[in-house]
Amino acid sequence: MKLTEIKMENFRQFMGQQSFPLAPSNGRNVTLLFGANGAGKTTFLNAFTWAFYGNLSDDIEQKQRIVTDFVWQAAAFGQDIPVSVEVNFEHDGNLFRARRSAAVRKSAEEQGPTNSVFELWTSIGGQSKVVDAPEEKIRTILPLRLSRFFFFNGERIEDLVNQKAYAEVKQDIKTLLNLEQVEKALIHLPKVERKLSADFKKYGGDQAGKLQVAIEAQQDSATTGKQKRTDMQDGLAELNEELQGVLDLLRQHSEAGPLQRQRDEAEEQLAKRVQANRALKADRNLLVATRGYMAFAGEMSLKTQAIAADLHERGALPAPLKREFVQKLIDDARCICGSDLIIGTAAMRSVEEWRSRAGLQSVEAAWQKLSGQVGHIADEREQLKESLQKYTVDIEVGRSEEDSLNGHLTELKAQVENLPSEEIGKLEGKREDLKRRIDEMNQSIGGEDRSIALAEAEVFRLRIQLRSAEVADELASSARRRMETVQAVQKALERILEIRSNGMRDRLDKKLKEVFARITVKPYYPELTADFELGLYQDQEDGSRLPVPKSTGENQILSLSFVAAVSQLAREVAPQNLGGEDSTDSGTYPIVMDAAFGSLDLNYQRDVSRALADMAPQMIVMVSKSQGLGQVLNELRPHVNHMGVFVAHSSNEVKESELIELGGLEYPFISTRSDMDWTQLLEVTG
Amino acid sequence: MTIDKTDQTEAEVIQGLTEDGRFLLQRVLEIERSRLHLSGSDVTIVEDLHLAVKGIVR
Repeated sequence: MKLTEIKMENFRQFMGQQSFPLAPSNGRNVTLLFGANGAGKTTFLNAFTWAFYGNLSDDIEQKQRIVTDFVWQAAAFGQDIPVSVEVNFEHDGNLFRARRSAAVRKSAEEQGPTNSVFELWTSIGGQSKVVDAPEEKIRTILPLRLSRFFFFNGERIEDLVNQKAYAEVKQDIKTLLNLEQVEKALIHLPKVERKLSADFKKYGGDQAGKLQVAIEAQQDSATTGKQKRTDMQDGLAELNEELQGVLDLLRQHSEAGPLQRQRDEAEEQLAKRVQANRALKADRNLLVATRGYMAFAGEMSLKTQAIAADLHERGALPAPLKREFVQKLIDDARCICGSDLIIGTAAMRSVEEWRSRAGLQSVEAAWQKLSGQVGHIADEREQLKESLQKYTVDIEVGRSEEDSLNGHLTELKAQVENLPSEEIGKLEGKREDLKRRIDEMNQSIGGEDRSIALAEAEVFRLRIQLRSAEVADELASSARRRMETVQAVQKALERILEIRSNGMRDRLDKKLKEVFARITVKPYYPELTADFELGLYQDQEDGSRLPVPKSTGENQILSLSFVAAVSQLAREVAPQNLGGEDSTDSGTYPIVMDAAFGSLDLNYQRDVSRALADMAPQMIVMVSKSQGLGQVLNELRPHVNHMGVFVAHSSNEVKESELIELGGLEYPFISTRSDMDWTQLLEVTG
Repeated sequence: MTIDKTDQTEAEVIQGLTEDGRFLLQRVLEIERSRLHLSGSDVTIVEDLHLAVKGIVR
């Protein structure tokens, strides 16, 4: 999607008909727009989302006042006032014109809710054609839930990195990467299976019918459990968010800060130690499960060896059948070749010699094999003993380290509690309470996980029984085949979703680190967890790492980096999506951002502006005069294709008008003593 | 012997299906994708998927 032009008519403070070109060209992909506070930067951002989805963001007040106030006030009662936003864009090689409009009738002093109409046209061979189901089409091009990654307010962008948003962000990424259809299929296929099972129960006979009913009961139990788990995970995310907030306050506190940082370090070490000990115990258990029987084989193998040695010495080891067979030939005095075996003859001597040689060879070979195996068992037994002793020592050392770290944490806790500040006392109490509730929640989730696993194991067991249950009717056989195929497809989709999600998270994490490293000068690095939690860390000299308390500025940089990483990944993966249509730019989106530099200091403003042009194929950036001039403009200048000013016309009689100097020319910025309050979007062409 | 599935690729997962299964998987994704942005279409999607299964698996 590439935006080429926007046209507005009486939309909020943009009075009358106004338009602005947006198309990037000659490799210049940035549109830079300057505006004073309240001049209409946020409204301009909302013009896009209103046009596409009919939505205005939460930071827009008086949402129902969609028509320019002055136009509304000047209109007569009963008059229809036209209001519209039209956005022209290119997508997949086609030109589109999206228009949301309304004819708002003035029937009261105050504006009421507006019923708008959305229309979409596409241009084919120079002919404009109406697109049917336009709302659906626009959501196909840019799904609504993804719009927050591409149309956003820089000052509010840190909402993306709070814990409450993680689950939503994870879902958004799946939408962006076209995995949503896989998830939807996983919701719908069990319902299809239920429909098929109705046929099966009808025609499958008593035994099969009962099994199917039992399977469905277990499936229902697993589904309920999963819903409960999801609800608890949401609750857990909220508790963790709250805890992080408390910890950040403790870290930033002048007295508690140093102690909290020590506690962060100790907790990080403890978590690693606990994990290492768990791994040691798991390895030890595996060893016992696979080689443990050796412990009981010691005496038995020695006894076997002694008995066999004695028999060997006495020549009494049992001979194999072959020797008995030869003896029988001698007893019967007839060889298998037909010759008579008479004592003293060459034939008899030959067979007797063969009897002696064959028997002894076999016995000797068996003896050697037995001796070798018994010896090997003894060696393995010794190895097992040594390994178990090593595990015991390592686990004991680990446990002792755990105790020591826990002791250190208790000590630190006491030190924090002993600080005289009442505020710290409250924060510490809150921290304790949240940690307890988080532990309880984790236990409940673990319990639910076990119940779900049990129900799923039971489904698996019953399905095996069902597979072999006899059904007389061909309709039932057919229903069973269909159910089994649906189950197999469902399993395959679950695996595909898992493979893709993990791969995408890894790639997104890598890109996030790259973008973040380009912007920041600090020795921090971000990390995206499997649950799409965004954290910021700093490596320590001892090889450990500590979470960094994020300032508002760092949260903004982290969020901007995340958006840039999402944008890059979307472009890369779009052509490979499952079941996706072959398109040239289906994963390409513009970024329209208000207050791009939010509350960043000057250094960060410069670094962010350097990175902006690479964030997306098209950037529309709105800035205030104080943010946008100087370093920012210098950095962005080579990438800017269109520049504009939101000229704020104000009826204010007290303040003086202001100008803005761009490219050596002066343009109006705030024009006071105007007859009315409105905004003019002025293109800077110099 | 258990099979470690952690290193399985998408292609291997799909290859593990029967011919009917592979065909059904493709059809399921086509149906889901075409309805992704329609609201309230769950019932008709399930019905279409049901018909697809009946058409593919005899």
